[in-house]
Amino acid sequence: MFDRENKGGVNFNEFTGVWKYITDWQNVFRTYDRDNSGMIDKNELKQALTGFGYRLSDQFYDTLIRKFDRQGRGQVAFDDFIQCCVVLQRLTDVFRRYDTDQDGWIQVSYEQYLCMVFSIV
Amino acid sequence: MGDPGGGEGCPHGEPPAVLPPHSQQCSASGPAARSVSSRHAVPFYGADLWAEQPRSPLPIPIPTTPLGSEHHPDPNSRHHPLPGAIPHPSGAPQGVDPEAFSWFQAVDADRSGYISVKELKQALLNSNWSAFNDETCLLMINMFDRSRSGRMDVYGFSALLRFIQQWKNLFQQYDRDQSGSISFSELQQAFSQMGYNLSPQFSQLLLSRYAQRSSNPSIQLDRFIHICMQLQSLTEAFREKDTGMVGNVRLGYEDFLTMVMTRML
Repeated sequence: MFDRENKGGVNFNEFTGVWKYITDWQNVFRTYDRDNSGMIDKNELKQALTGFGYRLSDQFYDTLIRKFDRQGRGQVAFDDFIQCCVVLQRLTDVFRRYDTDQDGWIQVSYEQYLCMVFSIV
Repeated sequence: MGDPGGGEGCPHGEPPAVLPPHSQQCSASGPAARSVSSRHAVPFYGADLWAEQPRSPLPIPIPTTPLGSEHHPDPNSRHHPLPGAIPHPSGAPQGVDPEAFSWFQAVDADRSGYISVKELKQALLNSNWSAFNDETCLLMINMFDRSRSGRMDVYGFSALLRFIQQWKNLFQQYDRDQSGSISFSELQQAFSQMGYNLSPQFSQLLLSRYAQRSSNPSIQLDRFIHICMQLQSLTEAFREKDTGMVGNVRLGYEDFLTMVMTRML
């Protein structure tokens, strides 16, 4: 994300961007980790994302936890939380670009769909 | 899973009204995609990899069951590598290639019986001797780690090596000038031979994303594997939605999110 030149690493200037980014997210995480467990459970995740403005189904939160819960505890650790939010944000951004009438639906060809996903992973 | 994207009414989920933090971050653009939407007169988005005879060996199928799980070594066997135990010095466990076994032992520096992403990185090399990138190593661990612990045992490792070797053979086939990496034209050829019908703009997009910046960008083995696996996986997901095989789908927001997230390697 911060490696603007695809070097496979960040230089000092790019690193300061990383640092700020992480501390910002840490603050967000702390806000929603209500029980201070260091982990975010499904309900806390729901609150966090709803707070950001997402309106997602309960089923989808199950999907998120399954996907980002790398420790297999049914909860999401800080770094996984960041990843979850970043991925969600990027997917949403790209979806929005194709959803020209903003009705929550897109009509895409196979290649458009591939381009959408490959542009963010 | 529910509505294949053609239903009426409100879609599941809504994109946020207020953008989350850091929304001003730049994301890669996708303008190239729009121009190719009407490229194909006949809606045809890729050869029928499964319906007709492939012109070249099929891309290696992504394992659907955790590899290594079919091996259930006899716990009484002296070859059984119990978790935490030092693997038996005199021979590979049953079903494990001896070369893979000795390689595993060399990589498993702390003799835990498992290798981590970090250790795996040391084992996998591109042709220019650079280590496989983290993303691909993580992908490999996830695919071949049956315990979901983020690490791999000797069976998974052995299966992984076979898997990579198959990809390596394909890679070498497509690397026509034997440069050790795959250029734009070679990538186009590779896709075509694998049965994909993709535009040059798409190959260009991949190169800009995955190749190191240089006057002649090209793709190393690790990223080539990653790309091909993603392509396979995403194509499967698309096909599930495009039941009419028209090469076009209508997707709701949450549909899209789920499709990509559950398939993202």
